[in-house]
Amino acid sequence: MINRRVGLVVVAIGAMYAPLFSCPASAQEPGRHELPPPPDGRSKVIGLCDGQTTVVVPGLAPGERMSPGQAREVAEELMRQYQGKTLLAHGGAGHTERETRVWEAELKRTIDEGYKLFHSPELGTNGISCDMCHPDASNTHPETYPKFQTQLKRIALLRDMINWCIENPMEGPRLADDDEKMKALEAYILSTRKGVPLAPGKH
Amino acid sequence: MGMGRTWRKSIATLLGAFALYLPKGVLEPEIPENNPLTVEKVALGKKLYFDKRLSADGTVSCASCHDPLHGFADGKVVATGIRGQAGARNSPTVLYTGFSEVQFWDGRAPTLEEQAKQPLVNPVEMGQPSHDAVVQAVLRAPDYPPLFEKAFGSSQVTIDRIVQAIASFERTLAPFSSPFDRFLAGDKNALSDAAKRGFQLFQGKARCVTCHEFNTSFPYFTDNKFHNIGVAMKGNFEQLARQAQAIQARGDKEAESSLAHKPGVEALGRWLVTRAPRDIGAFKTPGLRNVALTAPYMHDGSLKTLEEVMDFYNRGGEPNPNLDGGMRPLNLSQEEIADMIEFMKSLTDDSGGKNFDWEELRELSRKTRAGELVAAPAP
Amino acid sequence: MVKYMLPRERKRQQYLTERERFFAELPKLSRRDFFKTAAKAAAVATAYWKGFPPHSFQLVRVAEARETQPKFTFAYISDTHILDKGLNHRFVKACQKAVEDVNALDPQPDFVLFGGDLAQLGKAEELSIGKQLLDQLKAPVRMMVGEHDWYLDMGEKWQEMFGKPTYSFDHKGVHFVVLNSVIVEDYWTEPKMTPMERMLAMAQLDNPNGRPFMVGEEQRDWLRKDLAQVDKKTPVVIFSHSPLYKYYRPWNFWTEDAEEVHKILAPFEVVTVIHAHTHQVLTHRLRNITFHGVLSTAWPWPYAPRGIPELTVQMVRADPFNQFDGCGWGSVAMRSDGQADKHYVLWDRNPMTVTFDHVRRGKEGMAEFAKPLHGKVDWPSY
Repeated sequence: MINRRVGLVVVAIGAMYAPLFSCPASAQEPGRHELPPPPDGRSKVIGLCDGQTTVVVPGLAPGERMSPGQAREVAEELMRQYQGKTLLAHGGAGHTERETRVWEAELKRTIDEGYKLFHSPELGTNGISCDMCHPDASNTHPETYPKFQTQLKRIALLRDMINWCIENPMEGPRLADDDEKMKALEAYILSTRKGVPLAPGKH
Repeated sequence: MGMGRTWRKSIATLLGAFALYLPKGVLEPEIPENNPLTVEKVALGKKLYFDKRLSADGTVSCASCHDPLHGFADGKVVATGIRGQAGARNSPTVLYTGFSEVQFWDGRAPTLEEQAKQPLVNPVEMGQPSHDAVVQAVLRAPDYPPLFEKAFGSSQVTIDRIVQAIASFERTLAPFSSPFDRFLAGDKNALSDAAKRGFQLFQGKARCVTCHEFNTSFPYFTDNKFHNIGVAMKGNFEQLARQAQAIQARGDKEAESSLAHKPGVEALGRWLVTRAPRDIGAFKTPGLRNVALTAPYMHDGSLKTLEEVMDFYNRGGEPNPNLDGGMRPLNLSQEEIADMIEFMKSLTDDSGGKNFDWEELRELSRKTRAGELVAAPAP
Repeated sequence: MVKYMLPRERKRQQYLTERERFFAELPKLSRRDFFKTAAKAAAVATAYWKGFPPHSFQLVRVAEARETQPKFTFAYISDTHILDKGLNHRFVKACQKAVEDVNALDPQPDFVLFGGDLAQLGKAEELSIGKQLLDQLKAPVRMMVGEHDWYLDMGEKWQEMFGKPTYSFDHKGVHFVVLNSVIVEDYWTEPKMTPMERMLAMAQLDNPNGRPFMVGEEQRDWLRKDLAQVDKKTPVVIFSHSPLYKYYRPWNFWTEDAEEVHKILAPFEVVTVIHAHTHQVLTHRLRNITFHGVLSTAWPWPYAPRGIPELTVQMVRADPFNQFDGCGWGSVAMRSDGQADKHYVLWDRNPMTVTFDHVRRGKEGMAEFAKPLHGKVDWPSY
């Protein structure tokens, strides 16, 4: 509505995250905020203290001041822009400690479940378990998928090869792609290769 | 072959390149650089393929054992050569062999050209005393020199030119016209539900696809490799294998070579070529396209039907010390076996597709067999 | 570090290298080639090392050629990991295949070493299926214990069936010692593990809570006493389930008190360790001791992420479609000089032979053994 009423053209530059509340009035190095030049002689560029977000206010002669109401609208628009860029997913709030703990615990539980399945013969029927050929998930190379898998003679994802191993050496029933056990196995296998660069197709 | 392909395309254009049709995504076959595929060579090759005069007594042509009436095989347990002699192995189909890296059941020829040279002088096949005799036989037929002139730029007849022409014709025998091809092209109704289930089993529980390789780039159902599945394990095979091993243990190369060239040792399979002990009794994985037309099966034609083949695999092949480690009982039910056979039947081509006229070749086969024609009429 | 050598010393080294290479080639030569090569080598000797009479070089060569003739052979089957009857057909089938292969050897080996891990979970039924399979062997069997045989009942059943796990014997001038090198410190009593929990913990190769294998003080004392009666020139062969050196601790490819055992073996001129547990082609040498791993019939372990002995030429990764790939059995040819030539029968692949000459020549020598060797065909066993 502000756009309609005062014809505010919003120019948002950059989308890098910067913590809003670490920007007190004393503004660290205020001179750093390099505002883009106004598009014409009758506009003014206003910047936010994140050093990135700006709005262009048209229809202001040089030296002309905005009314307090106009200035408030501009300030609100700057904040709207800033929040839209950085905190949209969380409704403007940062992650709480509880959330972080939940995520870590859930991931660990899934990885641990995968570890158990990987080290147990329960996925097969003949007493063989994954770790018998892959101690510490070695030689599973999850970072190399998708790749042409010679046993399948086609392009396979990690889960296709997990199922191949279950059906062939282990002689068990294949898992559905969305089976919790499949997710757990993938979670464990991938967790052993944290930090390894992706190399799809590598043999 | 990247270079070769470019060369082939540019020169072949001048000579009337044969535009081989391939479905989308299928890799081009490896064609020898010195034998680009041309319309003229294919026509000459077709005539030679059906010409019995190439054999020692004028009774056997390529088409005798690789007959368009029998899926380009012969429907017999083992091949029949001149004077009704029985060969050692089952005649494989020629369809799609242009895409193989190795020819013969034991892979002793790398190309179709090299393959075509051998039956001509095999005493139990076409029985010519020498390749020179084959050249003489061709020269005696007055209709050939102009065809060589057209195909090769001069009327000179050589064994290399003969087999290059035959190989060129054989490379066109790739129809891609089966229900399965239509299924691959997107017609989901081209396969019955049973065949679709069979295709799943083929890639999964039945463990077929690892050797009978199938994918979009190479859709011929063979890995071009050699496996011992135990078919050879009968008769004097064990004795032969022991003999071969004893000779190798002694390090007696002469005795080894002499054994490998004796008749009746064909069951040793790939060993005859590599002399590697692990290749004893191993044979090439055959492609499966048109498999329903090419009974009986296996290198010795010992299994009469696809049902027998499936039973053989379902029990894990025939135990023997060199059995491929990929063989094991499959626990397929009778219903599952029926589904797999439905799938294999869907690999039967309806016609020669865009690359050749199968009906015309059937007619040629009938006429040459009946003696109405000596060979294909000159194009 | 490269040490500076006087020209004369450099020439001598060059000569010795040539000589070593020549010896390594000898066993592969026919009689005719042998004489041809002998003449060539004599010329080399004269050119490189004038202070060394070529005449004596030839004598040395002929003597060496005789030395490397095998005096006797023994075969090995190992790490069969048999599971309950009916539960697993693969491992039983593989063990049976190895037994048939060894029985087909002609001539028969003097004995067959079983390298341990007959059972997967130490159960009486597993051990007894395993025993039935091994009972078919024509040659006498020497048994060794592995952790999979031991930790359900602390070796009770195994010892009832096969006797003591630690023993020695002499055979054709070689002193053989069999150790139980899968001893670990007790980590099960305090947390009150059941016997099966203990077994499963020990059976898990990558168990982060596991303890390192060791020979232990008691056995080291026994070994000292046993070897005290053996002449230091007598070749000694040690059978150990664990590698008897330090390769990779997280998978227990490891013997914690290896150095102390090596000290006991140090006075002996020629020592060979044949060890199991690692399920792979593995070669190592430390001073007077050459170490060889053996294959499993059941499955191959991957090579550890680090610590692989420098001499090892790795076998290529196995294709899991083929249950036999990367598996097999093998044999050892004991030579008159007391050294061992180690032969791997890799099912569905070319066999590999690591001769002592390969080992002695270090990495360069080992690069050669990857080439297929001819003449010895012991598989398939028709």
